[in-house]
Amino acid sequence: MELMAYVWPIGGGKGGSGKSFLTSSLGRLSAGLGKKTLLIDLDLGAANLHTLVDLPYPTKCFSDFIRKKIPRLEDTVVETPVENLYLISGAHDNLDIANLPYEQKIKTLKAIARLDYDHILLDLGAGTSFNTLDFFLISHNGIFVTTPEPTSIENVYRLIRSIYFRRIRHCFNVTDFKALEEAADELYGRGAVNRPECMMEVVRLKYPETHAQIQDDFNGFRFKLVLNQLRRHDNAGLGQQICRIIEKHLGLRIEFAGNVAYDDHVHDAICARVSFLERYPYTRTAGDLRELSKSVVQTAGEQMLINYS
Amino acid sequence: MADMEGKRAVQGKFADLNYYEMLDIRPDAVPFEIRHAYQNAIQMYEPGSLVSYSFFSEHERKEILAHIEKAYLTLVNGKERQGYDAELVRRGVLKGDVCREKADKKPVSIFSISRSSVLQPVCQKKAELKARIAQCPRIGAIAQKTDICGADLQEIREALGVTLEQIADETKIRLDYLRAIEASEASRLPAPVFLKGFVKAYLKHLCVDPGEEISTRYMAALSVQSEGKAS
Repeated sequence: MELMAYVWPIGGGKGGSGKSFLTSSLGRLSAGLGKKTLLIDLDLGAANLHTLVDLPYPTKCFSDFIRKKIPRLEDTVVETPVENLYLISGAHDNLDIANLPYEQKIKTLKAIARLDYDHILLDLGAGTSFNTLDFFLISHNGIFVTTPEPTSIENVYRLIRSIYFRRIRHCFNVTDFKALEEAADELYGRGAVNRPECMMEVVRLKYPETHAQIQDDFNGFRFKLVLNQLRRHDNAGLGQQICRIIEKHLGLRIEFAGNVAYDDHVHDAICARVSFLERYPYTRTAGDLRELSKSVVQTAGEQMLINYS
Repeated sequence: MADMEGKRAVQGKFADLNYYEMLDIRPDAVPFEIRHAYQNAIQMYEPGSLVSYSFFSEHERKEILAHIEKAYLTLVNGKERQGYDAELVRRGVLKGDVCREKADKKPVSIFSISRSSVLQPVCQKKAELKARIAQCPRIGAIAQKTDICGADLQEIREALGVTLEQIADETKIRLDYLRAIEASEASRLPAPVFLKGFVKAYLKHLCVDPGEEISTRYMAALSVQSEGKAS
């Protein structure tokens, strides 16, 4: 397998937590460094990225690839007004795009793996549908976004657990997994199926080799957490503590990537359809974003695409 | 049986941690660090916490909090901690030589309040003062007087060999008020409500009985005197 571009899926469970804004901002910063950067709008059925990069009428979109109008994914890429920044838009996706069939999803994942860009950022939708989970698992570098509100935190925990669960599920066929679920129910009582840490334990007992493989996988993940829309009076240590809890109780290592301050100007910039970073470069939020991009897109490391290439 | 073991393996994951791991501290942490870690842990796991919102069921949360409580109470107690450390060493979790220095570093207290050492002399002083009052007929005579003025109080105090500074230190009454009381200078004294309390405290410090009555007489004399001045 050849070395691929750096892929950062950005997800967060809750809608409105700033995934798309963060994707577009990180994309602009990465492009600003001279890296050939591609944004892919995988918020299927609720695409926004084209608006955030000021490209209201993209000529091509992701659906063209799914509908076989354009055979190669790289041909659906459109240029944006920003230098070095490219986009696969979801603006005119077909109305049934949200329910991407399995084969199409696999086709997409494989195509993404073959794209030739320096950096690729995936903007994922809210919720924990299989599409979102599988796109998130395409890379080791997934980024979770949450805001300091119980609703958002609840959803991000659920997303993390779902991803964990999905990864385990990948390793088994239907009947074996059914057997595992029953075993888990028997061992830990009802509801254990929904606790990936319990499922992992059952896997360890029944399939030690698969357990080692999954464990290996998870040790390779470099998930990150971003705490977005932090108000002045919010607890600035919240992100660290969330990561600690996940590590302690789920056994998953997630690195805290940083806080992004709340700013009403973000709203203004989106309404005016201009780049927030350019319009308000000296706000605290802009500073936070630049810091974040240092720890996210500017870090180099081994990037691997798993399962699909 | 097998299923009981399995149950413990995961559900007890937190319970299986040793107390140091539960609180995220090193085995050589000093009590100050332990307290700090405990407060952090409570903040993370308490029922209303934003950090762990929806992460645990009600039951799990209760269990975790109970473990943290137990860990904290064991580790802050020097003796219990020694016992616990010994057990960890026995189980091979801790190495024997990681033992802390004998004298734990303690946080430096900001106020050196050592009540026990102060209380003792005060009691002794009181007994001494009472003995002196009993020996000195002059004090008894003053205490019997109908109108008591500042000079009388001063005489008692000097007879007992107590300085104004000592009284000020003990009663926290300002020195200039004490001087004004002895000089019967109404103009420099606070309002009668406060003044009566001050005089009582002054007399109490000197162990002169009955403080209440004498102070009433002092107040009466003072008001007569100031009225006389006014007219």
